[in-house]
Amino acid sequence: MEFLLYFGDVFTPFNFMLLLIGTIGGLILGATPGLSPTMAVALLIPFTFRLEPAQGLILLGAAYTSTVAGGAVSAILLKIPGAPANIATTLDGHTMAKKGEGARALQLSFLSSAVGGVFGVLLLIFLTPLLAQWALAFGPSHLFWLAILGVTIIGSLDSSSVVKGLLSGCIGLWLATIGFDDIMGTQRFIFHSSVSGGINVIPALIGLFAIPQVITMFAKGRRRLDAEVIAVEKHPISKAFSEVFSRFRALTIGTLTGSIIGLIPGVGGQIAGLVAYDQSKKMSPERDKFGTGHPEGVIAAESANNAMVGPSLVPLLTLSIPGSPTAAVLLGGLLIHGIFPGSDLFDNHPQVAWTFINSMLVGQILMCVFGLYIAGLAARVAQVPNAVMAAVVLGLAVFGSYSVQNSMGDVYIMAALGTGMYFLERFGFSAAPLVLGLILGPIAEANFIQGSMIANATSSVGTYFFTGALNLLLIAIVVASVGYSVWMELRSRRYITKDDAVAKEEALS
Amino acid sequence: MKNLIAAASIALMGLTGTAIADGHDAYPERPLMLMVSYGAGGATDFQARIVTMTAGNEDALGMPIAIINKPGAGGRVGWNWFASQAEADGYTLGAYNIPHFIAQSIEGGVEYGADSFEPIANWGADPAVFVVAADSEFNSMEDVINYATANPGGLTFSGAGLFVGHHIAALQLEKAAGVKLAYIPNNKGGAGAMKAVIAGEVLGGVNNLSDAFRAREAGNVKILGVFDNDRNDFMPDVPTMKEQGYEIDNASVNFRGVMVPKGTPQPIIDKLAEIVPTMFENGRVAGKMKAGGSPMHIMTRNEVLEMWAAREATLKELLAGL
Amino acid sequence: MTDLPRSQHIVASGLVAAVGLWVTYVSYTAEPAAAFLFPRIIATVFVVLALWTFGKALLGRTRVGNGLSVEALKNILPGLIVSLIYVFWAAKTLGFYTASTIAFFVLLSLYDPAPHGEVRTWGKRIIITAGFLAVMYSLFAMLLNVFTPRELLF
Repeated sequence: MEFLLYFGDVFTPFNFMLLLIGTIGGLILGATPGLSPTMAVALLIPFTFRLEPAQGLILLGAAYTSTVAGGAVSAILLKIPGAPANIATTLDGHTMAKKGEGARALQLSFLSSAVGGVFGVLLLIFLTPLLAQWALAFGPSHLFWLAILGVTIIGSLDSSSVVKGLLSGCIGLWLATIGFDDIMGTQRFIFHSSVSGGINVIPALIGLFAIPQVITMFAKGRRRLDAEVIAVEKHPISKAFSEVFSRFRALTIGTLTGSIIGLIPGVGGQIAGLVAYDQSKKMSPERDKFGTGHPEGVIAAESANNAMVGPSLVPLLTLSIPGSPTAAVLLGGLLIHGIFPGSDLFDNHPQVAWTFINSMLVGQILMCVFGLYIAGLAARVAQVPNAVMAAVVLGLAVFGSYSVQNSMGDVYIMAALGTGMYFLERFGFSAAPLVLGLILGPIAEANFIQGSMIANATSSVGTYFFTGALNLLLIAIVVASVGYSVWMELRSRRYITKDDAVAKEEALS
Repeated sequence: MKNLIAAASIALMGLTGTAIADGHDAYPERPLMLMVSYGAGGATDFQARIVTMTAGNEDALGMPIAIINKPGAGGRVGWNWFASQAEADGYTLGAYNIPHFIAQSIEGGVEYGADSFEPIANWGADPAVFVVAADSEFNSMEDVINYATANPGGLTFSGAGLFVGHHIAALQLEKAAGVKLAYIPNNKGGAGAMKAVIAGEVLGGVNNLSDAFRAREAGNVKILGVFDNDRNDFMPDVPTMKEQGYEIDNASVNFRGVMVPKGTPQPIIDKLAEIVPTMFENGRVAGKMKAGGSPMHIMTRNEVLEMWAAREATLKELLAGL
Repeated sequence: MTDLPRSQHIVASGLVAAVGLWVTYVSYTAEPAAAFLFPRIIATVFVVLALWTFGKALLGRTRVGNGLSVEALKNILPGLIVSLIYVFWAAKTLGFYTASTIAFFVLLSLYDPAPHGEVRTWGKRIIITAGFLAVMYSLFAMLLNVFTPRELLF
């Protein structure tokens, strides 16, 4: 209960002002395409040089919390996921926005973010020592199986065709191998100088989701929009409240999956949203509605990606090991003040540690309040005329992908992948499995290679990858996941005809 | 006719020459960028952010320096970009890590070498150390080597990647002790390699002194030896490898500093070489670096040029046997 | 399904299969083999799935994907051409902000349904373009210190 002692520190006028700046700034930065939470936090580091340690961390903690949630804004309204964490949000969130339910989608997303986020921070407060052990339990073989588990989701992410979903995933896995091999340093598949540095996930993400969007808007042509002006449905906040809690299953699955996966160093943050989305789809009796603007999709994805915030800091705060890129940046924020995470932090600087954690707790609530406030206004984006929207999304995509590394090469990759994706989508391929392959490829490969190197030096590859409780558990989940997809595919074959599939796709586009 | 062209071109060169010289007086006129070839939050990134924080001061460059991260493949992605695509206009700086990029250029498959870059100044020197988990049965390098002798190729230990400082240290250890070891490169850099040690995935590891210092403060690791000529001020209790009987010099010490691409105008290089070291000497910078557990080592452009040349010779010799 | 999507499906899956074959060829021939172990696994699955899809397209058994109608293609082409010129040529040659301004304005004018003949329409387009670029400039150049290629103009 030590954290209660330091709650007062969050509410001193200056600290609270920093918290507000961090939250609002974080929401804006998070909603900007190309600015992932890691970059947003890194950008704020110089501002903390002149602040007290606790104050600096309030700013960083609040910004981290709200950039993760802010990414949902562009994911829902523009179908540009600002960071890998928001990919799953686009699947149902953007479809809802296109139906005029943008306000509802945003409200649900902020509320479930807050629920997930608060739960995650509470885990951080109460279960840190236990969680630290769990985080360390994942070695190369386990991370490899975890990545494979992620790959098996590919088949079920795309509801229309399992084969094309897997093929899209393979294209993503292949794209991830372009450039330098992460361990050996060998150059692979470099067919043009822009890809010599490999394909960066953020520009690829922007291109794959935003550019098909832009071209779809082009395809509508110079049409008078009067006929199809979308009525932006007003949605009272109270209704959103009751809806979030009435969809308890999705909320619980999202929050728990996010917390557990977020904890695993190196993998968690990027795939928590997608895994939660997939799980709640599989466990929902209304699974056919997923992908067509189903609120549960938004709730599961967003509660998961904010639930991961707290647990993802556990390895950093207890063991001084940054488990995610953002945690690594926060480590820098602590080090410049001469504070070493680990026992030193909690024993000698409890006021810094607990103020930081409390600020994330209060930050979740503040983020939700501001988010709900802007949701109604932001949803009007759906009424922006087609022509303006196409130009704005293209402009944002170009600026966003350039600013990741100040590189024109990234813009070329973004545009090329995006244009290609538009045409592939016309033929039943989809972007989400492709991106999942792009993210998971390097994780699977690096851990496979490290694992086999360790295995060759100690025992054999078979023993290393196939024995041990955690390995067997993960393998069992992989098998179950594959089996489930195959079963669903065979079962649905009986009644999904060509016309049904076409009709469903028409409804989506 | 030939003479005329020659005269004209000389005149033209003179004209543009003075024009450029005039232009450089005002340098820098806009914010600069410093490319770091490791991810945000890594040791190099963290230190680069601290040492450049005073760049905007009037007595320094008068313009801020923004950090751009281009991580991947142990730094190869960033340095390849820096050598082949970065503009040599004086506004694009890069951070170097020695021995990493020199070792990689000797190994091949990259588009850079020591002569692709112009050093400006060095800010830090971070030796490699040998770490084991706090509950490990190893208490000295002798224990480690005895285990390795009993299990040839069975002593697994982690490091940040292939052909980086940690790998060089590992090769030196293998050579000096005359045993076969199992070096496991990690794709998540020093932090990932440290996690592997603490979690018990490997029996030991080579890591940065600054990161190991922190991990020891947190009670997670024991530090068995320093891969340097002398003991380090941050941990005077840890003996060097030489003291423990292994002939290992400072070839793996990770020197970090600022450079520009070849072809950057000489007046700009001179100006940077004059100002940047004073920027590193700033009291606030030194204070923050010390607080973060990062050893500083300031060297001027000429000293760095010498150090690069010396390092290239030793590394060529060391890597020749591979 | 009419014949148009079927032949389009053959072309699309044929291209994917061609990429798959190239990837497989490269990963089984390139050196050092150790670095290409993982690409080989991927490439094998990739090429099998790609050929399967191609075969299905040849037989006309493709179930999903509507292809492109001629009308949609006609609508897309001008915008796509402008966008590609903007990204791949103008941004690096004319300067990032100049190219962005021109591209934004041209795209807006191409797809804006308002009549081209009125002065008001053009005024509105200019204001929207200026507003968007002002927001982009203040966010990226001033707040985030992103330096963009300046080249010929700005």
